[in-house]
Amino acid sequence: MDIEAIMGQVLSGLSVGMVLFLIASGLSVIFGTLKILNLAHGTIYMIGGFLCYWITSTFAHIPAIFWLALILGPIATALLGGLIEIFLLRRIYAEEMLYQYILTFGLILILGELCKLIWGVGYHTVSVPWPVDGKMSIFGMIYPVYNIFLICCGVAVFIGLMAVMRFTGLGRIIRAVTFNREMANALGINVPMVYTGVFMLGCWLAGLAGTLMPPMSVVALGTDMAVIIDCFIIVVIGGMGSLSGAFIGAIILGLVNAFGISLLPKLTIAFGFLLMIIILIIRHWGLLGKPE
Amino acid sequence: MMEHEIMREIIQEFFKKTLTLRLFWLSTAVILLFILPLFISTAYISLISEMLIMALAGCALNLMMGYTGMVSFGPAGLYAVGAYTTALLLKKTGIPFAATMVAGPIMAGLVGAVVGWFCVRRTAVYFALLTLAFAQIIWTIFFEWYDFTGGDDGTVGFRKPELLLSINSSYYFILLIVIICLILLWIIVNSPFGKTLQAIRENPVRTEFIGVNVKRYQLYAFIISSLFLGAAGSLFAVFSGSVFPDYAHWIKSTDMIVICLLGGMYNFLGPVIGSAVYIFLSKLISGYTMYWMLFLGIIVVFLVLFMRNGIAGFISHKIAPLIQENKETEK
Repeated sequence: MDIEAIMGQVLSGLSVGMVLFLIASGLSVIFGTLKILNLAHGTIYMIGGFLCYWITSTFAHIPAIFWLALILGPIATALLGGLIEIFLLRRIYAEEMLYQYILTFGLILILGELCKLIWGVGYHTVSVPWPVDGKMSIFGMIYPVYNIFLICCGVAVFIGLMAVMRFTGLGRIIRAVTFNREMANALGINVPMVYTGVFMLGCWLAGLAGTLMPPMSVVALGTDMAVIIDCFIIVVIGGMGSLSGAFIGAIILGLVNAFGISLLPKLTIAFGFLLMIIILIIRHWGLLGKPE
Repeated sequence: MMEHEIMREIIQEFFKKTLTLRLFWLSTAVILLFILPLFISTAYISLISEMLIMALAGCALNLMMGYTGMVSFGPAGLYAVGAYTTALLLKKTGIPFAATMVAGPIMAGLVGAVVGWFCVRRTAVYFALLTLAFAQIIWTIFFEWYDFTGGDDGTVGFRKPELLLSINSSYYFILLIVIICLILLWIIVNSPFGKTLQAIRENPVRTEFIGVNVKRYQLYAFIISSLFLGAAGSLFAVFSGSVFPDYAHWIKSTDMIVICLLGGMYNFLGPVIGSAVYIFLSKLISGYTMYWMLFLGIIVVFLVLFMRNGIAGFISHKIAPLIQENKETEK
């Protein structure tokens, strides 16, 4: 492999990795605060994709509709997340993990079938929006601008989230609730509202990834199942509940996938799971998580 | 009016007696299962065969999940190991049929021993994720090793003994094996070993303090569960005549967990009820609508919110006391 091919692989790995980071960061934040492993998180991402397709195709005459969809799509998934948290998840926080797993699995089925009911079983595509639809050359390689744009989005969201968590009052409240729920409650923090808020934030992130992905890939049923397993791998590698861990994990998985496809295509899928197993065996709190 | 009262008393008396006479119910059910092919069509017989196999898989998973308290997200991996072992042996070698049926569970047990050895070192969510990752690795192997397993096309067209070619005879074969396996499982969970597993579920720390090597017992439970999952897989391979990588997929694992939950995890026969209801409902609803997963999802959410002990738990906690209570208030 020459240097240009390697750079190409790095860039494509990173752009997929950054979209995965957006989804996994939501999953990780939700797990960190609510202590819930939300299987339906991938489905929220898929709904974001369908919303992007639906908005851009229905209102195609409006200029720059994609950018409007990018604002509205994630808001819609966040609202959906709020409803799910208030009406369903809130009732099972005290229960064993198994029930949470199965409840969110039930949500996968329900939401997936609703998507099928509304948007059908076909594949949908969304064209790459102006002004990121061109190609540019990096290190002598011609490369789609949209992939670079995705990488920038991922990094920007990462920095934004870290800043919110670290420097704002809201971030302090979330960290306090994550650290000790009872104590935060005793200090007058409205814990149920924080839970709803964090779940909505997670769903917003998944919806954002869902709206960003269609121009690069397709909108179709079943994408949720593939994505959620990738997110599990990322979250485990980085450390469950850790934001920067999800960032590192997503980069690792993105690069492993990109290079694996060109070097050892047959073993690529297994690599992610192998990484997950190794981390769980030797350092189960993940690369950047905190040991319990 | 009086007659009505007397009738009710007789019926209650009957229910009270028979509910305690579990053996009576069980033997009735078994006899019914044996004479069933005389009355109903082969389409239903193959449906019931499927129920029996999933019931075995559910009970095997329940040994680990319900009795030992180890929540696994990857039972389908071991189920698929059993299925593929039997199918590949039947296809590629000439060894006797019975040997392939034994090899399936043993191979699953061996894989389970290796996987379990790593998994029992972790608890709760990390244990569950580790089982999930291992099952996905198994899925990847079956999926990608095209030359050996047929990859996505599955392993199909393997020989079957002539005795099992008809649906009814393969039904009897499955029924017999499932009953033997369930009896073995019943003996295991009611032995001192089984009681130790339940103690581990209730309180692993205390069990450790009274001198039980908890990790080792959990590993044993993992291996035994794998053996029976493998047996269910082998049976399904012979029953359906084809095996596919999706047998190992996490969706299949989730199916098994739902079966346990639906029937009732804290009841030995819970998964049997769960399997029967689950497969019956899936065929019934999918006959009417292409959106049957929607209904399954609603059922699953309902179960988790309102019926956590499943059907068996619902009967023994809600209905059985109701009958007895009526009796007492009348006195």
